[in-house]
Amino acid sequence: MRKFLSMLFPAQSDDVILTISIILLILTIVSAVLFTVKKIFPEKNIKELENRTKSWWIMIVLFICAIFINHLASYICLAILSFFAFRELYSVLHFRQSDRSALLLAFLAIPIQYTLAYIKWYGAYIIFIPVCMFLLLPSVLVIKQDTHRITKSIAMLQWTLMLSVFGLSHLAFLLSMPDLEGFPSGGHGLLLFLVFLTEINDVMQFLWGKTLGRHKILPNVSPNKTWEGFIGGVISTTIIGYFLGFLTPLQPGYVILASAMIAISGFSGDVVLSAIKRDKGIKDMSDTIPGHGGIFDRIDSLSFTAPMFFHLVYYIAYPNL
Amino acid sequence: MKKPFLQSVCLKLVYKCILRPVLKFYVGVQYTDCSFLKDEEQFVIIANHNSHLDTLSLLTSLPSEILWKVKPVAAEDYFGNTKLKAKLSRFFINALLINRQSKAKEGTNPALDKLLHAIDEGYSLILFPEGSRGEPEQMSKMKTGIARLLAQKPGLKYVPVFMTGMGTSLPKGGLVVLPYNATLHFGKPTLPESSDPHTIMEQIEGDFQTMIQQFGIKEDDDDD
Repeated sequence: MRKFLSMLFPAQSDDVILTISIILLILTIVSAVLFTVKKIFPEKNIKELENRTKSWWIMIVLFICAIFINHLASYICLAILSFFAFRELYSVLHFRQSDRSALLLAFLAIPIQYTLAYIKWYGAYIIFIPVCMFLLLPSVLVIKQDTHRITKSIAMLQWTLMLSVFGLSHLAFLLSMPDLEGFPSGGHGLLLFLVFLTEINDVMQFLWGKTLGRHKILPNVSPNKTWEGFIGGVISTTIIGYFLGFLTPLQPGYVILASAMIAISGFSGDVVLSAIKRDKGIKDMSDTIPGHGGIFDRIDSLSFTAPMFFHLVYYIAYPNL
Repeated sequence: MKKPFLQSVCLKLVYKCILRPVLKFYVGVQYTDCSFLKDEEQFVIIANHNSHLDTLSLLTSLPSEILWKVKPVAAEDYFGNTKLKAKLSRFFINALLINRQSKAKEGTNPALDKLLHAIDEGYSLILFPEGSRGEPEQMSKMKTGIARLLAQKPGLKYVPVFMTGMGTSLPKGGLVVLPYNATLHFGKPTLPESSDPHTIMEQIEGDFQTMIQQFGIKEDDDDD
């Protein structure tokens, strides 16, 4: 399988290929186990787990194709992901009719932000949404002269844009990071490390919570989250991250720090979005991914871990930028 | 009723191959399953109306085999005010054009007769009983023509469809389609419980009240 993958993705380093093989192997094992369980205990209801695993297959194959085949295509695919995420998030937040023009403008920010990442213009990329859009969007909002609840619209629009476009675009800028000596995996390695750890952290917190969970951590936000799930998730994610450190240019100590921070910020993203859903009285953001809910039900943690991990690595490993 | 081959192919192409992907991926319309309509001989879809996207989303969600025999009922004064527009609407929207302000003689109703005639021919209809698109996310009072139609055709089932977000995506007078996760909720095909138009109207309004309770976008209740 490694030979086949190397043929498919000739530009990728051996480390990246190895990790992709491991991911596909894990998924195959999980599918096989589910299949066996279904054959032996046909009365057990594992429909939801099956749906989830099926969706995992689709998401992982899409992700691998999007990120590792063509350089430009990776940026376009990530921009489309941001587009879906932004649309989904603002759809549940109830904007006013008079916010339409500002919302359209916010959509235009997506291609611009990802173009800036593609041309590696870090200075413009890092201020475009936090500064330019931050000032521009409220200015456009007031043109309509509808002041009723405009404060809410201004705040929600900027927050939505930060989370779904600025946050996620850090995935794209990881691909734009310059080559480091003795680190052949480059941005693709970092991106794979970040996404794999974030998702495995979600799974680990879920598994620990399901098996050992006793003490609720934030019962009024997310009744299924427990201290056991959280701590178990942080520990297992940190251990897994330590062994995947070869995907990053970081020293082992920093790998442990980065992994633990991915686990913690991933949990934060998860519960923040849970709180929003609870406020809006919905269970899932939409029904795009069977078994998971909406796009944001899957990438809620990623929108928090991406900027955190990016700036940590940027600070530690790329001091000369 | 003969299946118009060319039109049927065109409708499938336009709605299933072109418009559905656009509505699904660009606009973000979330379809719910309506494949059960394939098993129905004939029906009248009753939907709330906020946007031109309503008709398009409804047509794109229908099973492609029955697309050609479902006619959206549209206003002649809007979609048929020129000959060309009428022709295009009839062909590409499969529209059944009726005159909203028909000033007919006492006791006759040419618009209703036109609908009854289409039902007799075997077509299914899409009706927007509110009559006009109105304000986004607000349902205006439904007109009673639908109840009179159902009263005259016992055995004809109606399918309530409730849509949210279409008016946000493309409101009346809007020029640009804003991407927005709008949703289509299909109700079950239902037989009117009586043959009295008044009771039928109450039944339909009750169905919509239930759907609004269940799926409607709730306004934020914080007051300042």
